[in-house]
Amino acid sequence: MSSARRCKNCGSSDIEVDPARGDAVCTNCGSVLEDSIIVSEVQFEENAHGTSSAIGQFVSAESKGGASSFGACKFLSTSTTSKQQHVTLKCLILAFHVGMGVESRELTLKYARVGISNLCNQLRLNQHCVDTACNFYKMALTRNLTRGRRHAHVYAACVYLTCRTEGTPHLLIDISDVLQICCYELGRTYLRLSQALCINVPSVDPCLYILRFAAKLEFGSKTQEVANTALRLVQRMKRDSIHSGRRPSGLCGAALLMAARLHEFNRTPSDIVKIVKVHGSTLRKRLVEFGETPSSSLTLEEFMTVDLEEEQDPPSFKAARKKDKERLQKLMEEEGDNLTELQKQIENHLENKTKRARKPTKGPILAKEKESPNDINDVNRFVEEEIIGTISQIIKEGNVDDPSTEEHVLELGPNISSMGLAKSLDDTRTIPANTQTEIEIDLDDVDDEELDAYIMNEDEVQHKDGLWHKLNASYLEEQKIKQEKLAKEKEEGKPEKKRRRTTRRRNNQTGPSSSATEAIEKILQGKKVSSKINYDVLKTLNALKPEGDGEKEVPVELPKSPQGEPTSSSEITVPENVGKKSKHLVNIERRSTKKKEKSIGLPVYVSEPTKEEEKATESKNEDDKMENAMEEDIAEDFEEEPVTQEPEMGMLDMLRQHQQGHGDDEEPSFGYDYEEDEY
Amino acid sequence: MDSNLNETSGLSNVDDASNYAVKPVESELSQHYPLKAILQPLGSTSLTKSPSCMVVYTPGGTSEPHTNITLQNCVITMDLGCPLDLMKINLRTRNSEFNPARFCGVVMRIREPRTTALIFKSGKVICVGSKNEYDALVAAKKFARIIQRIGFNIRFTKFQVQNIVATCDLRFPIKLENLNQIHGQFSSYEPELFPGLIYRMVKPRIVLLIFVNGKVIFTGGKSRQDIKDALDNIYPILRSFRKN
Repeated sequence: MSSARRCKNCGSSDIEVDPARGDAVCTNCGSVLEDSIIVSEVQFEENAHGTSSAIGQFVSAESKGGASSFGACKFLSTSTTSKQQHVTLKCLILAFHVGMGVESRELTLKYARVGISNLCNQLRLNQHCVDTACNFYKMALTRNLTRGRRHAHVYAACVYLTCRTEGTPHLLIDISDVLQICCYELGRTYLRLSQALCINVPSVDPCLYILRFAAKLEFGSKTQEVANTALRLVQRMKRDSIHSGRRPSGLCGAALLMAARLHEFNRTPSDIVKIVKVHGSTLRKRLVEFGETPSSSLTLEEFMTVDLEEEQDPPSFKAARKKDKERLQKLMEEEGDNLTELQKQIENHLENKTKRARKPTKGPILAKEKESPNDINDVNRFVEEEIIGTISQIIKEGNVDDPSTEEHVLELGPNISSMGLAKSLDDTRTIPANTQTEIEIDLDDVDDEELDAYIMNEDEVQHKDGLWHKLNASYLEEQKIKQEKLAKEKEEGKPEKKRRRTTRRRNNQTGPSSSATEAIEKILQGKKVSSKINYDVLKTLNALKPEGDGEKEVPVELPKSPQGEPTSSSEITVPENVGKKSKHLVNIERRSTKKKEKSIGLPVYVSEPTKEEEKATESKNEDDKMENAMEEDIAEDFEEEPVTQEPEMGMLDMLRQHQQGHGDDEEPSFGYDYEEDEY
Repeated sequence: MDSNLNETSGLSNVDDASNYAVKPVESELSQHYPLKAILQPLGSTSLTKSPSCMVVYTPGGTSEPHTNITLQNCVITMDLGCPLDLMKINLRTRNSEFNPARFCGVVMRIREPRTTALIFKSGKVICVGSKNEYDALVAAKKFARIIQRIGFNIRFTKFQVQNIVATCDLRFPIKLENLNQIHGQFSSYEPELFPGLIYRMVKPRIVLLIFVNGKVIFTGGKSRQDIKDALDNIYPILRSFRKN
């Protein structure tokens, strides 16, 4: 068989492997080479009834660590003490073979599947939807989105998410109807889930629900026809923007009511209201809104054949403009005289201005009338040629700032600056923790007379006191009882109730970074991952600019101090070009000696110590002077800081410029303004 | 009470914020400068005299030269730096409510500027309902003064703007569906739940409610600059999703 293998005893390559027994035997000398080989073959056994079945256990794709049905722990819990040892052993073996029972998470998923499939059955969704919803649930579970939410809400949100992605005709209200939970609460869960899982759900299409509602309205054999008409109506409404910002059910209701009437069915608004579950006034409003569009004036036949080209503005937009107009009218009525006066003045001013402006435009060429006509002609020709040349050049280059092309920019997507990604990190650092300012002002300028009215006299106080105690009598009583109870408990020596620990969720979800430096910065800003990581070096990675690399690099010198301690802070010499780094180093050195040792091996580049620093190193032997040296060192660092931070300040300045640029409506003078970004 | 008070406060309804009475607030403010620094001065952006209005240049420079942003509400917090006896405050003032069974703070209202303050035992105060930062400051001072007059040794510290709500009308209809489709990671548009599109801008960190008729509500801003920046960011986007 296996030519590669040879018997250890006789060297024969004639080895027989028997998968049934699980051993390998040399046929030459008879020695058993291997025992209990693990085989990967499917075996079948025949049972008493003559049917055969595969040997083994079913391990589902979702379960981790083997079959769950054996439940090793269950054995343990039921076993008596006499058998304990034996059973434990068995359990161990079982555990070895089939894994460690059921995981909590697996159980959660199992329950979720049951819950979701129940819900889906009630909503008449197919198995595919159940699976999708379960997968959504799994995703939500891995991101801890189920925490703090009720199971029913999460299940329902997963199912609704599925409905939306699959495009089934289910509304949020249907699900909340089935589960008897608040529609908005459910909506909140759904939104949170879809946002956290980054699922871009398509907007609702009211057309989806037409057929479903039509089926409930008992149109009999004409259902399809009515539905088609209603569908056309809804499509028309969509073109006239009646649908945006409105519930799809209201729109469907209005369309179905019209369609039913058009097909000579007697359906009252109340019939429709019962089925689409919107209020009657909403339905009426939709009808009125449709009535205001030009399509409503068409006859049935015309409507079914003619598609009006014109699209209407949304009704709310029209209403807002109407309101504006009314306001203006009112203003005109009230202050009409003033305004006309003002208008006249403005017109006069404008006229004068244009007159004045016109004069010089005739200007540059005609002003030279004194010159000979020949000269004038030459000048004119030269100017014309120059202008035409420039224009044609611009056209060739194709960078015409044509306002008409600008208008046609359609549907801008999000870009880096609109997401605030590019500069977000610089900003968190540069923007001062604003608003939090401590100021003290005198309150003398406040008008006291006005406030006198708010403060009551003795008589009124008495009155309010009585009234308040009367109103809050029950509360005060309760409070009293509570306090007595607490005091009693304290006397008896009962331990105080433990306050429930509020777990603050950490803000783990940081967005993606656009560069490695940014990622490092993010790590630095966040909580420390491990004490083994030297964060200061990470910082220096960032701070080291290419021009800094060329400088003289001298490894860290670490003179031994007489006490045998590795170093003191004053001995670490720090190059001046990385002042920022030095500050952090000092910080670390002060923390503990252990960390000092660590810092020996750091890849920190050090230039020759300056005189001051040398002075500092001299003082190392005297313990009492050490403190001084440290302070000196720190002071130095602080002095250095403004210089080294210049690039950062530059960023801040630029940012300010950026903001001012907008405020003054000037052309921004640098690259990363969003308007200049290419879309 | 004071008839003059009633008149002025009657004017300040939400619909007609542009008519909002111009009060001597600004001149008052310039007298004691320090607060103006934290309130992010109007600077060159303001063309109107009403402190609740902010006229900004429309980005992109298309049809309209500027957009009118109206501040609607301003929430501030302050710390009076001493523990307060809420019962005393409640009993001594006629403009306050204290219902400890329902809410642990005193609710105090004043008429000019029309604001409400929540006063807590720790001395912290939240003041809501003012139309702009200047009004909020005046109101905060008045609340502080009332508490001082009742007999607490207070300090006026940590005045901080927490939230500004502003509105503006862009005067063109917007295709919300398409906007939601393309800006899905920032927006949510569920007409079943809310008629507007909710746009969560990352920077400045502001939430915008965008409606189909072109009206926009900004909320969550800490300063005028935030709101202005948000409009600067969103305007070209909304312009590109304009209907018709």
